[in-house]
Amino acid sequence: MARMHSWWRALTRRSRLEDEMVSEMGGHIERYAADLEARGMDSGQAWRLARIEFGSMGAAVEECREAVGLRWPDELARDVRYAVRVLRKSPAFTAAAMATLALCIGANTAIFSVVDAVLLRPLPYPQPERLAQITAHFQGKGISGDKTNLTGLIWEAIRDNATYLDRAVYSEFSMGVNFVAGGQVDYVRQQRVSAGFFRVLGITPLVGREFSVAEDHPGGPAVTVLSYALWKRVFHGDPSVVGQAVRLRGEPHTVVGVLPANFQSSIPADLWTPLRPSSTGEGGGSNYAVVGRLRPDATWAQADAQIDSVGAPIVAALEEDISARLRLMPFQRGLTQNLRRPLLTLWAAVGLVLLIGCVNIAGLLLARAAGRSRELATRMALGSGRAALVRQLLAESILLGLCGGAAGTVLGWLGVKGLKLLALNRLNVWQTVELDWRVLAATACASIAAGILFGLYPALAASRIEIRAALGEAGRAVAGGRNPWPRRLLVASEVALAMVLLVSAGLLVRTFAHLQGLNPGFDARNVITASLSLQDARYATSEHVNRLFEQSLSRIRELPGVESAAVVLSLPYERALNTSFRRLDGRHVDTEDQITNMFYLTPDYFPVLRIPLLRGRLFTDADNANRALVAIVSEAFVKMYLRDDDPLGRHVDFGGGGRREIVGVVGDIQQKSGWGEALGPLAPMPDVYIPAAQTGDKPLQMVHAWFSPSWVVRTTGPPEGVIAGMQRAMQAVDPQLPFAGFHSMEDIRYRSLAQERFQAALLAALAALALLLAAVGIYGLIANSVAERTRELGIRLALGATVAQAMRAIALPGVALALAGVMAGSVLAGFASQLLRHLIWGVEPGDPLTFGAVGLGLLGVAAAASFLPALRVAHVNPAETLRQD
Amino acid sequence: MGKQVDILQGTLDMLILKAVSLGPLHGYGILLRIQQISKDALQIPQGSLYPALYRLEHRGWIAAEWGESENKRKAKYYRLTAAGRKQLKSERKEWKRLAVAIADVLAAEAEEA
Repeated sequence: MARMHSWWRALTRRSRLEDEMVSEMGGHIERYAADLEARGMDSGQAWRLARIEFGSMGAAVEECREAVGLRWPDELARDVRYAVRVLRKSPAFTAAAMATLALCIGANTAIFSVVDAVLLRPLPYPQPERLAQITAHFQGKGISGDKTNLTGLIWEAIRDNATYLDRAVYSEFSMGVNFVAGGQVDYVRQQRVSAGFFRVLGITPLVGREFSVAEDHPGGPAVTVLSYALWKRVFHGDPSVVGQAVRLRGEPHTVVGVLPANFQSSIPADLWTPLRPSSTGEGGGSNYAVVGRLRPDATWAQADAQIDSVGAPIVAALEEDISARLRLMPFQRGLTQNLRRPLLTLWAAVGLVLLIGCVNIAGLLLARAAGRSRELATRMALGSGRAALVRQLLAESILLGLCGGAAGTVLGWLGVKGLKLLALNRLNVWQTVELDWRVLAATACASIAAGILFGLYPALAASRIEIRAALGEAGRAVAGGRNPWPRRLLVASEVALAMVLLVSAGLLVRTFAHLQGLNPGFDARNVITASLSLQDARYATSEHVNRLFEQSLSRIRELPGVESAAVVLSLPYERALNTSFRRLDGRHVDTEDQITNMFYLTPDYFPVLRIPLLRGRLFTDADNANRALVAIVSEAFVKMYLRDDDPLGRHVDFGGGGRREIVGVVGDIQQKSGWGEALGPLAPMPDVYIPAAQTGDKPLQMVHAWFSPSWVVRTTGPPEGVIAGMQRAMQAVDPQLPFAGFHSMEDIRYRSLAQERFQAALLAALAALALLLAAVGIYGLIANSVAERTRELGIRLALGATVAQAMRAIALPGVALALAGVMAGSVLAGFASQLLRHLIWGVEPGDPLTFGAVGLGLLGVAAAASFLPALRVAHVNPAETLRQD
Repeated sequence: MGKQVDILQGTLDMLILKAVSLGPLHGYGILLRIQQISKDALQIPQGSLYPALYRLEHRGWIAAEWGESENKRKAKYYRLTAAGRKQLKSERKEWKRLAVAIADVLAAEAEEA
């Protein structure tokens, strides 16, 4: 401690310390001289003797500084001062290196801040490493993955048998509901969770309690837990709100608790209601997510084995050819499953770009070392050790790294802002993305590591010089002389790395183009949609719901600019309701449940979106509750379930709802597939459409707990023009039902590929940066060799070589290196594309077109970058170059 | 002046600690006192005194303070700290052990002549 203190004082009060030393030693000499004088020596001689006997005061001061541990800070300061001087003397090099680093490190900083927020930063719950998501892991038919949505049956098995876990069940979606309290009407987001959910997360309510088991079963009392923000906003933080009633979805709910301010839920939510899990109704499908906390005495392996055996009898039977088992996944991974792969891909890509940047700067340093060999040889001749020389050169590159890192931090900060604008509000990112100390520390480490990475080899190579040769014959060699291979290898590897990035970006861009080019199956132009929540006690019956549809639609149809209007449950591209059904007649009769997407709609829906009728008929107003039940199916449904059969006239039954006749077949539409990873992000799915008028009370209540129906309106002009009119129309029908949000159908289509667009765009930008760096690397190499070989070129030209021949001799190594780089890069890119397999759709990972185009493009750029500097050969004047000596 | 002895590396530290244990001294004073006690047998190279002083101060065994010397001149005075006293004790013990051991070695007679 005392030592630290004395060292710190010595370091920070350097000049005072030295003054003290000098005056102390001066006093010593003075006293000694006085003593000598007292013994009879004459004054001048006494002083001279005293000084000689003391020795060099400078050396003594130096030794004293060393004694208090100031040697390495002194040397460091000297190295840094020298490095600053050297870097300032070659501004072109410094600027090029700094710009490269700033771009590369900036990209890394921006992406790392997202990766950190989503994947690395621990969840904001106590002991987050003991929290587990229980998933159904499936494998087979070339696919594998984890499904976090489980059925009620699976939950009940876990609840009853998984003794190593404290477990709870919740819905992974929140939905907008109408909320009335204290004379205020709000549209809030509600998430449904089971009793014990907050206990499992490790969250104690700030006021009141969470749901009890008695409240968490079908038919239990209506209760709710509020978020801190909602409590502050509506009740101004009044604790007596517990026990009071609020109106939620038109029904009174008793507030039982308020959560603490720092609670962060994994999805946006303002309040919570009991999930009331069951194995029928919604629990009959995969609609539950399960979270568990390891009990204090249990290990992860024990709990995982137990979960596996609990799930074995139920889960294995779900799908043929695909084995499935229950397993534990770290909760954080479970929550971020969909983002994990794309983010890791981006992270790897920016890492590659940084690597290319480092290779580039290393090449520049090697070239510069050639120009500095005289300086370095002089220093060595004057007694500087090799280690000191390497240290000095490393200090230069680390300083360069840190300066580049500082500039990169600024770019990264801008990058984070850009990313937020571009995508983050659309991707499900739940912890704030920001440049906090973690990100800054990572950036600082990356900068220093980069400095060492690009500086170490050139420093070692530069210190291995022949002093005599360098001092005597510097720059006199006729044909280069220095070994050009290290730098050539660097350039080739740069091309190879750039190839990896370009191919990856190419595959993602082609994937995006494929998805974008898919026929949507409907006409999105001039269509506006709006949705509202019908999870409302006043709309518990089919009669009420259908009256609302009829009245609002007839008013909307009268608005100027409206061509036609309909209501549908689930728009194209939206997550749709999954339901089980059985085929009752025809070639295929089911004894087991099959699964399909289901939509209810008013008869005009197909004409409004211009979805083509392929066979049979569309619905009419006559298909109402009093008539025979009917259904229309999509082409994909026919392909999957009614192959080699006549779909028309066949009957199906949805979960015991009664015989329904298939009366028509319509074209497919693109939807979020949501069925594992087998089908890609967008795909035509087997769809069944039924008339809203023929949908029963119970199914309506059930689906309205998860989904909000949409009003779909085709306009004659720009669709935004009818928004105000639609709002007025709905107000006139029911003033308590506000539309929640208006979106044009084109906007919905655009947003459906937000993640893919974001991925492809970002990777393409990074690949462009890599291409630029590789081109600069080749250009630098060739330009440098022109400069080094001017004499040789002069001789060649003088001996009769043509300018074209000389240019070829100079430029061809660049093209040859690029060719080698492209070949090595193809192999690497082959591996990379296998890793990207899960993000690629509609194009093969080894797509020859992508590989070929990228390879040829790279070679073209390399040829340009090689021949451009070679043009200087034309300006070489043989007579002049030879006269120079 | 009698015969002078070169000082062993590391012994200088112990001598300085011993010198200031008798009362605060400035650098030149320490030099004089060591010469005086050893009856001029020990000569300390003047240039190496100060690095040693700074090293001891850095380790917290001696503490320094600026004060006025006998003839009204400013001088830096060193005194022994508690940690220095402990260090001196252990070094003295160590030294005695070493001295005894070396004496034993030198005193040993050849067993088989």
